[in-house]
Order: sequence, then structure tokens, then C-alpha cells
Amino acid sequence: MAQQPPEAPGVRSRRFWSLRPRSDRDAGDAITSNFLLHAMPAKVSNASMAWTYSFWLGTITAALFLLLVLSGLPLLFLYVPSVERAYQSVKDIEYVVSFGKWLRAVHRVAAHGMVIAVVFHLARVFFTGAYKNGVGRNQHREWNWVIGVVLLLLTLFLSFTGYLLPWDQLAFWAVTVGTNIASAIPWVGPSVRELLIGGREIEQATLIRFYVLHIVVLPGAVAALFGYHMWRVRKDGGLARADREEQLETPRTVPPTPTKTYTLLGVARGTAPTVTAKTLIAADTTVNAVPDLVRRALIATLGTIALISILAVFIASPLEEPANPLITPNPAKAPWYFLWLQEIVTDTTIHLGSFTINGAFIGGVILPGLLIGVLTLWPWLDRSPREATGEWFHPARRTQNLVFIVVMVAILLLTYIGMEMRGPYWEFFWPWETWPSLPSRI
Amino acid sequence: MGGTDRRDFLIKLGTGAGACALGAQGVASLRSLAPNVSYDAPTTVKLGPPAEFSDGLKFLADERLFIFRNGNTFHAVSAVCTHLGCTVRAEALPKPETVDVGGSPLQLTHQFSCPCHGSHYTGDGVNTSGPAPKPLSWYRLSVAADDGQLVVDLAEEVGRDFRLTV
Repeated sequence: MAQQPPEAPGVRSRRFWSLRPRSDRDAGDAITSNFLLHAMPAKVSNASMAWTYSFWLGTITAALFLLLVLSGLPLLFLYVPSVERAYQSVKDIEYVVSFGKWLRAVHRVAAHGMVIAVVFHLARVFFTGAYKNGVGRNQHREWNWVIGVVLLLLTLFLSFTGYLLPWDQLAFWAVTVGTNIASAIPWVGPSVRELLIGGREIEQATLIRFYVLHIVVLPGAVAALFGYHMWRVRKDGGLARADREEQLETPRTVPPTPTKTYTLLGVARGTAPTVTAKTLIAADTTVNAVPDLVRRALIATLGTIALISILAVFIASPLEEPANPLITPNPAKAPWYFLWLQEIVTDTTIHLGSFTINGAFIGGVILPGLLIGVLTLWPWLDRSPREATGEWFHPARRTQNLVFIVVMVAILLLTYIGMEMRGPYWEFFWPWETWPSLPSRI
Repeated sequence: MGGTDRRDFLIKLGTGAGACALGAQGVASLRSLAPNVSYDAPTTVKLGPPAEFSDGLKFLADERLFIFRNGNTFHAVSAVCTHLGCTVRAEALPKPETVDVGGSPLQLTHQFSCPCHGSHYTGDGVNTSGPAPKPLSWYRLSVAADDGQLVVDLAEEVGRDFRLTV
């Protein structure tokens, strides 16, 4: 009988890791030995995990991104990025391929959902002052806020590049309007547009550019920045909620935990960390990340996937006539998340005597540029005290919260007007008015 | 010179070489995306013999162009909205009116509206309302020397006094 070889250090006898740890040591091991979980902390406070603090919007966004990658995979096999065949291949996905309609709907609903989730996540971080450094030392939360703004822009651009791919009328004219906004930038505008669409007209070169951006460049950038975003969350001390417990709480006496070792002197003097502890490390207010944090993350992910999968059964994806550069639909509308911009570019052309500034430059470049600029720099403009970190609607941040709400409501209002109250020739109609019937062709 | 200096030097050399290599790759990759040859449609287009155009307006979808004929004079107005490049639509006026355009009289039979953002233009292309920042372009029309067809040059804008008399 052969002798059992001795166990080498660092060699793991179990084939998988455990998500049901039997001890604190097991729980820590479950984090550090798992590539997927190693970005998580070993312990997490109950307050940080509360459903009603973060609403898990970041996790939901990540789950939507995962779902988009997964549902995009079969679509990659079925879609042909050529002007001649793109429309037909999407039509096949919609009407011929088994489950094609549903897969496309999942991808589309998840994409729109991700735009919404990212915006909600941004609003949550803003309202809780979570870009602030509550502890103040060695924290760089403002930097992670900037990364978040970039991720928001990437998400919008991802959605926009996907919008063109069906190569139908909806896609073609939304991209015509969108890229012409780029050409309204003084001096460099036309070159930017030409680089973006690979020529002067929206053609095969445009389709392949948008396709490659949509399936490789932008998802790659999102994945890389997402990893960095999560790493920064850890390195800044977890959610901003945790800062409150670290910095703003005075240590209190807690009973010794039987699983921990204390020095006699530490117990006698009361300086052992869990004899006098803050909430962040007290045993009765923290839990092991495995299984508690992992379980909640899985619930959020599963819930997101389930919701989108069910919605996709009921929400049909539009597919209009094939793209026709010769006929502009009336009205021609941008994707809903850009409608507020379209509404602004309609209203902002300025005439000063014979001097005219194109609305596309003011509404499409200056205004959103300013908005994004101010949004990016907000953590440096916010002068509220450290105590306003990680708390919903802290009184010290009342004014800026109001400003944020007003801007958001204005954007929503403009979006609604663009969606529901603009008829042929972009004329204003109340929702209860019927649009005049116009010949669809000249 | 100590060993640390050599190590520093080599680290800098390696980092610099790596940065140069990646930078050059990046520049080359980006430059390759700026097209050197345009396969877009040519800007000088033959439109057919003048006799094929009846009096009034004809919309040429491929060129996104309106050709107007009034007796033996022709002029061409672009159908590309000056705001964001959508194709404007022509609507016939209830009754034509004659106005002075660029020093010579012009019979206006239509007006133009853009479906994207609601810009409106008069029949000679002047923007009257909506976000359009400037009038629709007028392009040079000529008669081809070889076969007598009407030719438009989409690269050459002309003033609104332009008329081609055939």
C-alpha cells in the first residue's frame, strides 16, 4: 500500500471553497481564497449592508452589466455588422431565431435598465454625501466619484452605440442627429464627427465603428473601470456609511467574544479592540462577508436578472423600416435618455442680429459639458462638514440636495416633453391631442 | 558610480522604451482610424437632361436636393437642414408668391420644414423659425459639356441670386 504523500503548505485539500463557513477563520478563508470574492472585506457592518441605505444600486448595475454580457453573447453569433445584412439579421433574431425575440428584449431592457440604475446609483451617492471623506485621512472618495461619472458616460455611450446596430430608421436618424451634435463643436467638430463615423456619411464605416466600440472597446473599458471602482471602495474604507461608525462614534464597552484571543493586560485596561469597540468592529454589529454579504449580493443579482427576464417577455423591442438615408421620419427622435438634450438643442439657437449660434453647440455641447464638468468637480465644491458623510439628506447638505433634485426634475421634465409632447416637425402637442396626419413621403 | 544609479538608469530606460512603444502603437492605431480615402458619393452629380424637369419643384432623394424650374431658369436648394442634418420636407404653398431674391424675382411655390427639431424655411431656403442657424445652401448648377445634362456641384455653394438659364 502506497504511503499518502504529505500535505504541502499552501496546497488546498478541498476542491472548492466554502460559502458556509463553520468558524470566523473559515469565513476569512472563504474571502481570501476566492478570486471572485477577494475584493470584499472579511467583515462588514450591518449598517453598510442595510437594504435601505444603498438600495444595492451599484450591485444591481453590475448585475445588469453581467446580464448584458451574457445576453449579448448569443446575439454576437447571430448579428452581422454589414449595411446589407444588419437589418435582416436583426429581423431574423426577432422573428426566426428560437428565443431570439426574448434574448434581444433582455439585452435591450437590461441596457435601458442599466442607464436608469446608474443614474439612481449616482443620485444615491449624492444624497448620502458618499463621495465625502468621513474619516478624512488617506481617503480619496472624490476620485472614485470621478470614476463613477466616467462609468456613467461610458454606459450612455454603450447604449448609444448599440442603438445604431439594428440599422433601421429609428437607429439611423438617432445617430444622424447625435453625431451632428458632435460636429457643432467649433473648429474640431467636423473632424470629430468624421472620426466617429469614419467618413462624411453614416455608412458601412460607421456601422463597423459603432459595432467594435459596442462589443469590445466600451465593455472592456467599463469592466476595467468597474474593477478599479470596487477596489477604490475597499481602499477608502468601504461604504461611506462605515465612516460614521469609524470616525463619529465614541468607543463603547462590548462583551468579549469567545472566539477571540485577548491579552490579559488588554482586558484589564480595556484597550483590547473588542472590549471597547466602535460599531465597525464590534462583534454584535458586524457580520462575516461570507455568507451574509455574499448572500445579499446574490439576492440583488438574482432579483435583477429575474425582473429583467420577466419584463423582456412583455416588452417588445422596436424594429422599424430598414435605414433609409433619403427619408427622415417625422418626428425623428433620439433615444429617450438623450431626449432632454434634443429638447434643449431645439430651443437654444441664439440670434444676435446677424450673428447666430447653433443650438446644437449650446444645447448639445456647452450645456451638457458644463453639467458633466460641475458634476465631476462637485466633491471639491461641496463644503459641508465631515459629519454629512454617509447619511441620507443630511441637513448640512440641504441646499445642494435641492439643486440636484431641481436639475434632475428639469431633465426628467424635458425628457417627458420630448417623449410625449413632440409630434411631427417637433411641434408641441399636449398628450391628449392627436397628431395631424401628414403624408409620410414627399 | 554606484550600482543603484545603474539600476535606476535601466529602470528608466525600460519604462521609457515601453512608454514610447505603447505610445507609438497608440498613435498608429488611432491614425489608422482617420480615413485617407473617402468612398462617399462624388460631389459633382449629373441629374439628367433639363427637359426631364417639369416646371416647379423636384426632390432628388439621393442628392438630398430640391431642383426648381421656372420656365427656362433652374436653381438648386439643399434639403439638408442646417441645424443637425435631417432631410427637410417641402410643403406646397396654397398659392405661389413672387418675391425678390438676391436682386432678381423668384416665384416661391413651397416652404420647407424639418421633421427633427421643427425648423422652418421659406421657399428660397431662408430660415424663419426653429433652431436652424442659417439658410439652406444653394448649389451651383451647370450644363454638362458632353451630353447636355444638368449637373450639380454639391461642393460649391452659391448665392441666392444664382439662376441657371438653359
